[in-house]
Formats: sequence, structure tokens, C-alpha cells
Amino acid sequence: MSLLAEKNTPTVAVQRRGFSEFALRLRVSGVLAFLFLVGLIFSLLTPQFFTVQNATAIASNAAILSIVAAAQAIVLLTRNVDVSVGSMMGFTAYLTADYASRHPNVGAELVLLALVIGLGLGMINGLLVAYGRVSSLIATLATMSLYRGFTYMYAHGQEVTSNKLPKWMLHSVDLRVWGIPALVIVCIFVVVLVAIFLRHYPIGRRIYAVGSNPLATVFYGLRIQRVVLLAYGLSGLLCGFAGLLYAARVGTVTVILASGWEMSSLAAAVIGGVSVTGGSGTVIGAALGALVLATIDNGLVLLGIPEFWRMFIQGSSIVAAAAVDVFIGARIRKSLQGQRFGRRAA
Amino acid sequence: MKGRWAWKPSQWEMMLAILTVAAGAWSAQLSPYYLNLDQIADSTRQFIFPGLLALGLMVVVVLGEIDISLASTLAVGTVLFSKFSECHVQVWIALPIVIGICGLLGALNGLLVAGLRLPSLAVTLGTMGAYRGLAFIIGSERGYTDFDDSYLWVGSERVLGDILPISFILFAIASLAVGFVMHYTVFGRRCFAVGRNNDAAWFSGIKVRTIKIRAYTLAGALAAFAALVWVGQYGSARGDNADGAILFVVTAVVLGGVDINGGKGTVLGVVLALFLLGTIRNGMGLANIAGPIQTVVLGGLLTVGVLLPALSASTSHFLHLLLPRRSTPK
Amino acid sequence: MKTIPSRKNLDTKNCGPKNLKMKILTAFGLALMIGISAFPVESVRAKDSGFKLMMTPKWTGFPYFELAAKGGKAAADELGDTFTYAGADHADPTLQVETLQNFLTQKPDGILLAAIDLNAVAPVLKEARKRGIVVTTFDADAAVPARDMFCNQMSYEQAAKTMLDCALIDSPEGGEVAFVAASPTAPNHTAHIKFMTQFIQNDPKYKVFKVVDTQYAQDDDSKSYDVAVNLMQAHPNLRVIISSSAVSAPAGARAIVASGKAGKVFSTGFALPNAIKSYIQDGSEKAFALWDPYELGYIATYATHLKLAGKLEVKEGVTFKAGKAGEYTIGKDGEIVYGKPLIFTKETIDKYNF
Repeated sequence: MSLLAEKNTPTVAVQRRGFSEFALRLRVSGVLAFLFLVGLIFSLLTPQFFTVQNATAIASNAAILSIVAAAQAIVLLTRNVDVSVGSMMGFTAYLTADYASRHPNVGAELVLLALVIGLGLGMINGLLVAYGRVSSLIATLATMSLYRGFTYMYAHGQEVTSNKLPKWMLHSVDLRVWGIPALVIVCIFVVVLVAIFLRHYPIGRRIYAVGSNPLATVFYGLRIQRVVLLAYGLSGLLCGFAGLLYAARVGTVTVILASGWEMSSLAAAVIGGVSVTGGSGTVIGAALGALVLATIDNGLVLLGIPEFWRMFIQGSSIVAAAAVDVFIGARIRKSLQGQRFGRRAA
Repeated sequence: MKGRWAWKPSQWEMMLAILTVAAGAWSAQLSPYYLNLDQIADSTRQFIFPGLLALGLMVVVVLGEIDISLASTLAVGTVLFSKFSECHVQVWIALPIVIGICGLLGALNGLLVAGLRLPSLAVTLGTMGAYRGLAFIIGSERGYTDFDDSYLWVGSERVLGDILPISFILFAIASLAVGFVMHYTVFGRRCFAVGRNNDAAWFSGIKVRTIKIRAYTLAGALAAFAALVWVGQYGSARGDNADGAILFVVTAVVLGGVDINGGKGTVLGVVLALFLLGTIRNGMGLANIAGPIQTVVLGGLLTVGVLLPALSASTSHFLHLLLPRRSTPK
Repeated sequence: MKTIPSRKNLDTKNCGPKNLKMKILTAFGLALMIGISAFPVESVRAKDSGFKLMMTPKWTGFPYFELAAKGGKAAADELGDTFTYAGADHADPTLQVETLQNFLTQKPDGILLAAIDLNAVAPVLKEARKRGIVVTTFDADAAVPARDMFCNQMSYEQAAKTMLDCALIDSPEGGEVAFVAASPTAPNHTAHIKFMTQFIQNDPKYKVFKVVDTQYAQDDDSKSYDVAVNLMQAHPNLRVIISSSAVSAPAGARAIVASGKAGKVFSTGFALPNAIKSYIQDGSEKAFALWDPYELGYIATYATHLKLAGKLEVKEGVTFKAGKAGEYTIGKDGEIVYGKPLIFTKETIDKYNF
């Protein structure tokens, strides 16, 4: 029997690799199909939807959320969650905007400042979750309140208005390159960068490993704590950058900036096929999920549909996306492992 | 074990109780208005409706799942009550119907999570938005305030010399009921078993799917009670009722010592955590401490609260290494 | 086999350092509570001064409300009253009710607030009035039976007219306009929209405009920005976006600049001068309006004090002097109209710094 097994293994292995590649593509194509479906519906319902201008409008609205969704996706991949993304954005945005208003001649080091602050905040999350062994939901719930509170205490009831921000910052996001807003290009660039990092660098792949099967990674010798710390640090870094972009885009920086974005980023990631149970999904998918949300928003405004239908539709989309994700996941699992119980431990 | 009904508060619960008393002392020091029976009794109203939600959430979390759509279910409940009040239906007739509908919403969550085996965070994230949208669709954007008096009774009236809010009595009954169910019935035992080890429970013959659906239905039904309290307390029903309240509810459940991964936790812990959070909020509020600073304090408390077990574990481990070992065999 | 008693198999339920420590802590806590409660609390109540006034905004951290608080504090200092300002950090009706409940416990003489949800605060405010506390709303009203006075920055009609006048400055030849409000449940915003629509239909001066859309942005700047972008997409001939919300107007201006439509589309409405200074100065926007929140808070506090001192009867037609701010008349249902809009244009914007 062992002889038979040896003979069979090479062909099965090749088969597996081929199918898993296809399955991975399938995951992203799930959200792509959803996007096309939504786009099709809206295009049929109103002529103003399917224009280049409208597409750029949707893209710019989705841009910053796509970065935050990517950040959330990274954390989700490790089987954790990060609900402090909005507060991290707000904290970074306010601190950098305030710094810029006091030092009008600041240049690109402002971006560095935002990244460092974001990284720091993310590391605190990571330390709590990885080394403090606090459940991620609780830890990030706590830091969400903490960071927002610190922003308030720092602000002393002030907001930073656009006239105090450096002109280059405001203009850089307004620029258009071949008709596409610079903001969109920057965000695509960042998301693609992160996707490449996760897929082709060992450190990135370890993030997938930790989420897929933490027990196996322990046996393999991976330091889970370090990987989780990295994931949260990366999330903080991206959120810091997103906060800076937000400040540049909207111009007015308030204390409550980006509150509520944790839910949006989670929704975008889930719609994008990132599994909440960790280990599968892509940041590109999460970014596409953000695009789906922005498309729905835009379409509903174009159609003049009341505000609260948006909530209903978005909520149902998330459930639908989760269902699709699970079905795809189940099919992948069945083909990879053969007929088992088809169920995962909670 | 001394007997089936023997009960001893756990270390965590003792700590919560002590912290609540300490918080009370601190609040009394912060503001001279705190230490007044009338005031304290009235302040409990702030956490009654989150408390009812927390009781429901606790059952779901013990199972190893989560439900962040409860605040939206509450909103559906309030707008349903408003519709009944508009038609001048007696509240005692409306209540079972609303409980039924909210229970159905909960059951839908349960079906999606247990039946289709979707991850509960994603599902309830979706239903959170969907149910809130539903609340707006039913209630219309304007909202309703002209409630018949019978609807307002539970949330606003007080008994025993006009001190004890009726909603508090409702909460006490609900906590006792849920506590009894969770700790002294077969259903409760099975919930803990499923939370501890889903597969083992399934192997041992427990119908995991049914239990999960039931738990979610219970949470939905409790949300209907919370909606009744809300209507009486705020006198208004609109789609955006309790928007964002779920954070407080989750904090209370977690602080109550319920393990977010399931399998551990007590109703008493959740109730004590609610008292603790309520006392701190009340004390800080009376001292006019700015909202964000209150948020920081609560966030810090949550952090310390969950770090404590890890800290104490590592410190005892540390001490264990430092202190001389026993030479006698165990 | 005799086992040496270790901590594991001793019944530690009623003895042992762990339990004792907790008992001591509990006793200490109780003692502390009793000790502190033993100190009596006294309250001073003067006849026509030394009142205790408490104000809560829609949410703290917003410069508009911080200024109203400063005005209120100035008035209180002038009159010899105490003034406390407190509130939650985001606009949540539940939290506002909680704040008001906490105010109630502290036995103030007067409460001032900007209501997020006019009905949610009604029960607690009615309770306050029952206890003899004077309740004054400013900026955003509560239900009429729940408060004594409402210090309205300007009547809804005047607000509508002011915004339309700014729109006319932006686009004298008229065109398509869209409204942006916080939410369908914000009473002042919905009233503005109602009147603006009426004026556009009936008043010859504003007939040049045509209303094409109304959107809601929940006082959130990112949402306002996105809504503005989507509006410009949905209505290619859109000329002016009129925002009742001081958060949405600057965000709209920014969105217009970002999409390269400055000069073709205008954003106007109510906004803090500092938030739109750069747009007025560089010419992408021409006019915004607001009022002085400092004075609004000042007047509301003065009115509250005067009523407490028995010097003001809340009846239609009664006039009173609000310190340095001038004389005001009470209108229907206890509404005091401040009625001094400020229009920020290139000529006037530099005078203001808030």
C-alpha cells in the first residue's frame, strides 16, 4: 500500500497546487463578480453611472477606505481583528495636521511622521494581543477608546482647518495624472505593494500561515507573537498613512475623524473575501470590497434612493459576501483534503 | 463540591465587586451628589437596556460566537412598538408580538451562523446594518414620540417610594432567569460545552446547530425587552436608536469575565461588570468629566482588566521561579 | 497513603490569606464610602445671583460649541453665576440624555443645551422643569414643552434666506442647487430645506434656482465630501451645493476643488470662518454664512439668568437686555431669535478668527 501511495503522491501534489492556485484566483473573482453585478445593475438603472467621471468619483471615494480595508485584512489574516483603525487614523491625522499647522515649512517628513505614529499605535495593539495575550477584539476595543480619548485631550477642543495645512499636502491629492486622481494612484500603489509583500516575501506568507493553522505554525517553529506584532504594526502603519491622506483630502481635521471606519473596513474586507477566521483572503480583495461599498453608495445617490436603504443593502451584501466566501472555502477544503467532516472547529 | 446548588463567587467576580465598591467610593469623593440612594437607583437606568442586551450577548459569546447586531434588533423593536402604539394596541398585546419578531431576527442570525456555518462576526456585521436599515424602513426617518402611557410604564416609572425603577426590576428578573438557565439547566451546560469544544460537543451528541439558533433567538428576544425599556426611558422610537451601543455591551460582557472564545463566564460576572461600568460612568458624569476622558478611563480599565490574568499569571510564574522550591514531594 | 496537606487539598473556602485580603479590601471600601458620605453637602442659593448653570453641547471638541460655551461662561462671570460645561465626545442622543441626567443630580438652577434629538431629551428635561430648573435650548431645539426658552440663532426662514443669498452671491444667474443636511431627523436642517424650497418656488428673487436633490451626511466630513462628489456626478449641471451643516459646507468646498470644478460648482451654507477661509481667499468659493456662537451662548445664558432672577417673564413680546449683546424680544413658544447672520466674503472674512 505504501508503494501505491508513493506512486500517487507526485501527481496528487501537482493536482493540488494547480487547484489551489485556481481557488485563490476564485476568491478574488468572487468580489470582482459582485462588483460587476452591482455595476451592471446601476448602469441599467441610470445613465449617469457608467461614465469615466463617475468611475473616478467612485474610485476617489473608495481610495482611502481601500488602504484601511487592506490594513484590516492583514490583521484578519492572522485570525485577529482590529477595531481601532478609525481611532488610529484620527490620532495620526490630528497629530500630523497639528504639527503641520505649527511648522508651516514642513515637507515630506510629514509623511514620515504619520507613518511613525501609525506604526507606534499599531505596535501597542500588537504588544497587547501578541504578548499580553489579550483577545484581539477586547484589546483593540480598549485602544480604540484610548486613542480617541488621547486625540481629544491633545486637541483641547480645536480642529485643524484646511487653511492651516501645508499647500503641497492639499494639492498633492488633487493632482490628476492622465485624468486619474493622484489619490487613487497612490492608494492602488500602496495596496499592490502590500499584496506583493504578503504573497512573495516569507515574512508576509507567515502571516497567512499563522491564520491558517496556528497550532501547526507552533510546531513548525514560527514565533506567532512576532508575526502578530508585525501584522498589527503594518496595520497601524497603513492606518497612519490613511489618516494623513484623509486629512489632505477633506481638509478639516477634527477629533472625531474617521470614527466608524472600523466597521466600514471590516465590511470591505469581508465583502472582499477575507475570511474572518483567518488564513485566507487577499488585500486586493479587501480593496475591491471598499470599491464595492463606494459603488453602492454612489449608485444610491445617483438613483436618489433614501439613505437607510443603503444600510440595508450594505448589510445584506456583507452577509451575502460571507456566504459566498464560506462556500468557496468549503469547496477548496473538500478538494484539498478529501471528504472529511467539512466543518471547522469554532 | 458541596452540593448541586453550592455556589462560590469566582476570583474575577470578587474583584469586580470590590472594584465597584471602590468606584463608588471614588465617585463619592469626586462629586458630593453621588451618594444618594435616589440618584444611584436612577443612574442604574443608564445601563438597563445595554444590560438586557449584554445578557443575551453573554449566552451567544459563551457558545463561542458573537452578535454585534443586537443594538439594531433593539431599534427594530422600538419602531415596532411605535407602530403598535399608533394603532392604540395595548402594550401587553404588542409585547409578545415584538418579542416574537425580534426573536425571529435573532433566529435568522442563528440560522446563518449555525445552519450555513458562516462566521458570526461577518454575519452579525451584515445583519447589524441590515436590521438597522429595516428599522428605518419600518419607522420612517422622522421617528415617533407619541407613545401611549402603557408603553412608557416599564421604562419610566418607579416603585417602592418612587426610588426603584421598574426597568431595574425587569433587569433583575431577566438576570436571574438567564443565570438560572445558563448555570443550572441542561441547555446552559450544553452551551458551555459547545463553547469549550465545538467538535467534542458535536461528537457527544449535542445538537450544536439547534443550540446556537436558540441562543441567538434568546438574544433577539431579550433585545425586544430592551426595546420596551428604551421606549419608556427615552419616549422616542426611531431607526437610529441605540446606534453604537453595542460597544458598551461587548465591553460589559468581556469585563464580566466571559471568555470571548467561549466556554467560560458567568451571568453574575456580566451583571457586576455592568454595575462597575455604570458606577464609573455615573461618577465621572456627575463630576462633569469630559466624555472623551471617560472613554479613556473605560478603555484603560478594560485593558487593565484583561491584562490582569496575563500579568498575574506571569508574575506568579516569575515568583515561582524566584522563590525556593519545596523539597518535599507532593 | 497519607498525603501532606498542600494548598490544593485544603479547604481554603473560609480561611487563608486570599479570602482575608478581599474581606479587608471590602471593609476598607465600605468604610471609605461611609466616611465620605458623612460629610454634609451644602448648597448656596442666592436670590438674584450665584446661580448654578450647566451647559451641554451636541458634542464636545467642536469649536462652534466650545465658543458658545466661552460666551456662556463670560455671561455667567459677568452675572456672578457659576458655569459648567460638559458633554460626550460624539453626537449620541443616549449619551446626551445621560449627561442631562447627571446634570439633574447636581441640582443646577439652569440647564442650557443644544439638543441632538429633540424628543429623546424631552423626558429628562420635563423632569428638570418640574423641579424648577430653567431649561434653555440654543442652536438646536428640544420639544417645546420640555424647555422654557429656545435661543435660535435665526428664524428658520431667515436662515433659509441667508443661505440662498449666499448662493446668489456664488451664482447670480441661478442654476441647479442641491441641499446637504445632517440627517432627516435634524429639525433645524429639515426646516431650512423646507423654507429654502418654498422661497425658491415663490420668491421672485430666488426663482432662478432649481432644486434637484437633497442628501444627508450625518455631520461627518468624509461622508460630506463623498456626498458632494456623488452629487456632482449625479447632476452634471449642478451649480450650488447648500449645506445647513457647518461640517458639510467646507468638505463640499474641498470636494469641488479636488474634482477640478472650482468656479463651476459652488459650496455654500453655514460654516466656521476658519474652515473656509482658504477657499474664500483663493477665490474658489465666494460666500458662506454663520453667526457668532459666542454671542449665542452669551445671550442664552443671560436669558436663563434673568428668568431665574425673576426679571424675565417668558411671554411673547417681552423684551430683555442681554448684557453687551443688545436687546432681544421673545417670540412665539419662548423662542428668542438672535437673528444676526454673518456673511463671510472676501471682504469680510479676515475679521473673523474662529
